[in-house]
Parts: sequence; structure tokens; C-alpha cells
Amino acid sequence: MITVSSILFAVVCALFIESLERGAHNLMINNMTSFHTGHLQIQDYRYEDEPSLDNAFYFDDTLLQSLESSDPYIDFIVPRIEAFMLAAGDEIARSAMVLGIDPDAEQRLNQLKDRLTDGRFFEDGDGSLVLGAGLAGRLNLAVGDTLALIGQGRFGMTASGLFEVTGLINHPIRDMNNQIVYISLSDAQWLLSADGLITNLLITPTRVRDTDILASELKSGLTDDELRVLTWEEMLPDLIEALEFDALQTRFMMGILYVVIGFGIFGTILTMTLERLREFGILLSVGMKRIKLAAVVFLETLFISVIGILSGSIVGFFILLYFNYNPIELGNDMEELFLEFGFEPIIPVAIEQDIFLWQGFVIFLIAILICLYPAIKITSLNILDASRR
Amino acid sequence: MSIIKTENLSKVYNPDTVPVHALNDVNITFEEGEFTAVRGPSGSGKTTLLNMIGGLDKPTEGKVTIDDVDISELKDSKRIDFRLNNIGFVFQHYNLIPVFTARENVSFIMLLQKRDKKEIQERADALLDKVGLAKKKDSRPVQMSGGEQQRVAVARALASEPKFILADEPTANLDTESAMNLLDIMRNMNKEQNVTFIFSTHDQRVIDRARRVITMVDGAIYKDEQQEVSEAQ
Repeated sequence: MITVSSILFAVVCALFIESLERGAHNLMINNMTSFHTGHLQIQDYRYEDEPSLDNAFYFDDTLLQSLESSDPYIDFIVPRIEAFMLAAGDEIARSAMVLGIDPDAEQRLNQLKDRLTDGRFFEDGDGSLVLGAGLAGRLNLAVGDTLALIGQGRFGMTASGLFEVTGLINHPIRDMNNQIVYISLSDAQWLLSADGLITNLLITPTRVRDTDILASELKSGLTDDELRVLTWEEMLPDLIEALEFDALQTRFMMGILYVVIGFGIFGTILTMTLERLREFGILLSVGMKRIKLAAVVFLETLFISVIGILSGSIVGFFILLYFNYNPIELGNDMEELFLEFGFEPIIPVAIEQDIFLWQGFVIFLIAILICLYPAIKITSLNILDASRR
Repeated sequence: MSIIKTENLSKVYNPDTVPVHALNDVNITFEEGEFTAVRGPSGSGKTTLLNMIGGLDKPTEGKVTIDDVDISELKDSKRIDFRLNNIGFVFQHYNLIPVFTARENVSFIMLLQKRDKKEIQERADALLDKVGLAKKKDSRPVQMSGGEQQRVAVARALASEPKFILADEPTANLDTESAMNLLDIMRNMNKEQNVTFIFSTHDQRVIDRARRVITMVDGAIYKDEQQEVSEAQ
């Protein structure tokens, strides 16, 4: 029981740590892909170096037809037009990121409408907008007030307009919360003199793991040479690097955990072996062969290890399930720190099959190595000394 | 016909640190059907002699031959095999496997010999009946008295149909009645089935029933004498 419990606890710890890391990474990736890059994007090839309206492209039937060949892999598409403008209230003005969107498509991507804290979301072309709550606070605006947007449209044309603030949203990324303005796609196109044009077309694959396949299909399917397809990994190299560094730290921590786990399991196996030395001595003295006894004891301890791993996986699954629905919420300084870096102040967990398989496998390997101890002890056991214990 | 023979048998423990000469040049033979007690004070080498004969330990010098097989030269696995099929043991502290029942303890030896399942069951039951434990076949050692446990040990020792049985202080932890019962069982087996018994013992009750008494002192044979044993004893 002690050995089983020891292994169970080890598996639960390993699962929890790996799951925390994966959950945090998934959250970061999810936030960035949901609200910023999407899993795939179609852009003008010049847009990455010069993200201006001059490098927008037409969102038309030709483009839609070229997407049809990749249709089985595409779940839905989200068109956007993006520009930086000056947002002004009665007395205060701030720079803002104006995003012209299709509200229903955005809702599918990131449940944007569910983030309303006040008011309502706009309808397409109704001349109203939704602000980030942080920006609204800075501009001293509330629902019902009027926001002026002033900037530069396509090919240097002046862009200006007055819009009613119909709603405020709480964006999960703090920086975005302090500068985002959502406006309907048609209103944005009108404002920016960019009729029919978009700067980004976000594409969500049916399955995330098909992202690369879809990217490849799209690249071969697009007829316009000036358009290119980017995956989120290509658009967020800094995030990838940060995640890899974090993963490295976690690997180091897991290594230490495995050592601790190993010693923990070894302690119980050692105790079990020493307690049974007399029994082993008796069995050898009455005629049981060492190799047979060693094999039996090895299989016995292995079986106990497997029970520990399986029960640890089951217990771990339920613990992770709880935290999946009730992620750890950070408070005080940690919350501020997370928000400052643009992350939601929660620690989510991930429940993914490979986490269970991998951790179970590693603990199983550790257990096998440790299970060799009693077998080795038996091969060198002095029968007389053991049976007299 | 001698089945056991020791030649210049010596055993030294801790030769490199504080050497203990447990056996000194012991030359002795044992015949089939003997009922022999090896006596002597503590540290005289009785148990060491039995361990050498039983192949539980290797001599420092000399050899032990059983039916012309030099067991001291056998490799560990071969020695264990030889012990399984030729030698029965009865230990002072019973040495039963605590998680096994009486039947399982007796059957275990025959399982190691890879006998037929039906034969194992029948023989185990018969042996336990013979030692008067028909009602305790499914009891574990913790559910039995010392005397009963030792009788299970005797049944186990007989299970493999050994050439001889070595009993190291078999009555040491038993009350008088249990000790007498056990001795009667072993003596009857010796008489009826010609099972050879060699005891290492302090117990005068055992010594009185032995037809041959070997006295050891300081690792050597001091006296080796035959004695008359009356039926009443």
C-alpha cells in the first residue's frame, strides 16, 4: 500500500506540474491566436514589414473561391481591417488600435461579445463601436457617449468619423484593453476609404493539429501572388521562444521532481525488501532458485508500480478536471504582474492524453529501475543470515 | 550404506578480521536410516555442521559428499536444486512462509519440484494428516501454536521425499507435550519409512531418543557413540 501510495502521489505531482505548464502555454497561445493572430492568416506579402492600409487586399469572391479547395480543413474565417488612429473623447485623446470586424465571425473565434461589461455590441454598419474598458477609462467615456476617430486612410486620405459608444468590453490582454476599438467591418472600410479591402484574413482550422496541412493547402490554392499565408508560429516567434525557455525551466524542475520521486519510491521498495529478507532466505533454503525468486519479486514490485501508476493517473485526472473547470486565480502582486505582461491572471491546467501517457511512461521507467533492487539483492543474499533475521 | 560423508571439513568465519573456527577438520559419515543427535555447548559447531551438510553454506576447507556427489563444489543454483530434491530442513524457528496456509507451505516444495497438481494436493493432505494436522490444513502459521507450526515444518521437510532430514534445534521453542509429540512423529517416520534424521540439539529429550549421539566441542568431534533406545522413551 505504501509503495502504491508513493507512486500514486508521484504520478499526480508529475501530471499536475506538466499540466500546469501545458495549460499556461495553451492559454497564452489561445489568447494570442484568438484575439490577435488567429491560427493562420492571409496577408499581403508586404504587410508584415509595413503594416499599413496601403498593403490591404480585396476580400472578394476570387479569394473565397481560392479557399474552397482547402474547405475540409477550414472551420471558419474572420476578416479584419486594422489601423492605428487617434481616439478622442470630449477632452482627452489617445492612440487606439481600430479593428474593423465581422462581429459574428469574431464571436466564433474568441467569444468577443461575451466580454461585454456594459452596453451592447454593434450591428454591422450601424455606425457604433465598442471600446476596451481600459481605453474608455482613459478617455473618460461611457456607453452612449461619442468617440471621434481621426487618422489616415488608404493612400494617405484623411480618415475621420464620429461614432456612438454602444458597449465596453474587458479584453483579457491588458495592453489591448487600453487601446482597442472594435467597429463593424463595413464602417471601418468606409472610414478608411478601403471599400472591399481587409488587412488580415484569419483562418481557423477544423483541428488545430491540421494547421500546417491547411497552411500548405492554402499556399498552393491561392491564385493571387501578392498574398501569403502565415501560421501563428511564424507570426509570433517571440512567444515561441518564450514558451521554449519556459518549457526548459519546467523540464529542469521535472528532472528534480523525478529524482525526488525516485528516492521516494526507492525508500518504500527498500523497506519492503528489507522486511522480506527472512522470507527470501526461507524460500531459498527450502529449494527455490535465486533467479526464479528474483523474477517473481521483480514482477511483484512491477505489478505494484503499475497499479500505482494507473491509480495515480485516475486520481490525477479528476484533480486536473476540477482545476480545468476551476483554474487557480491569482491575486494581489501576482495578478498585477500577469496583467502587466498581457496574460490573464489565472493558472489553468491542460488535460491532454500525451501528458498522461508520457508521465506514466517516465514514472514506469523509474519504477522498473527501482524494481531491480530487490531482484539484485536476492541474487547476492546470504541464505543463513537472511533466514535468521 | 553411507549417504553423507564429510572429509576434513573446516569452516572459518571472518577470516580477514576476527577469525572464528566454527568447524575444525571434521570427518564423519552418516548412514541411511539413522536417528542421530549432534550435541554440544553453544558455539561447538553443531549448527555449522548441519548447514555444511545441508549445503546452506560452503566450507573453508574439505568437502561434503552426499551419495557420491560433492555438494561443496556445486554451483549455487545446482546446490539449491540438490537441496530441493534430496534434503529436508526443520528449523528452530519453524521458518514457515507466513502468508501461506499449512497446506500451501507443504505444497510449495512440491511445486518447486514441478510435480503434478493432483499429486501435490494428495501428498500435502496425507503428510499433514500424518503429523496430526488434518484440521489445520487451511490455517496460517499465525493461527497455529508453536508445536503445530513445527509439525507443518516436518511435513514440509518430508514433502520432497528427501534422502535425509536435518533438524536444527527443532524442539527448542516447544513446550514438553509439543516436543514429545513431535519427537514421536519423527521417530515413527524413521522406524516405518526409514527416514534419516540428523538433529542438532541441546534437548536431552531428543538426545535420549537418538540411537547415535555425536558430541562436538570447539568445532571438532569429541565423542561419537551408539546408544540403546527403549520403546518407552
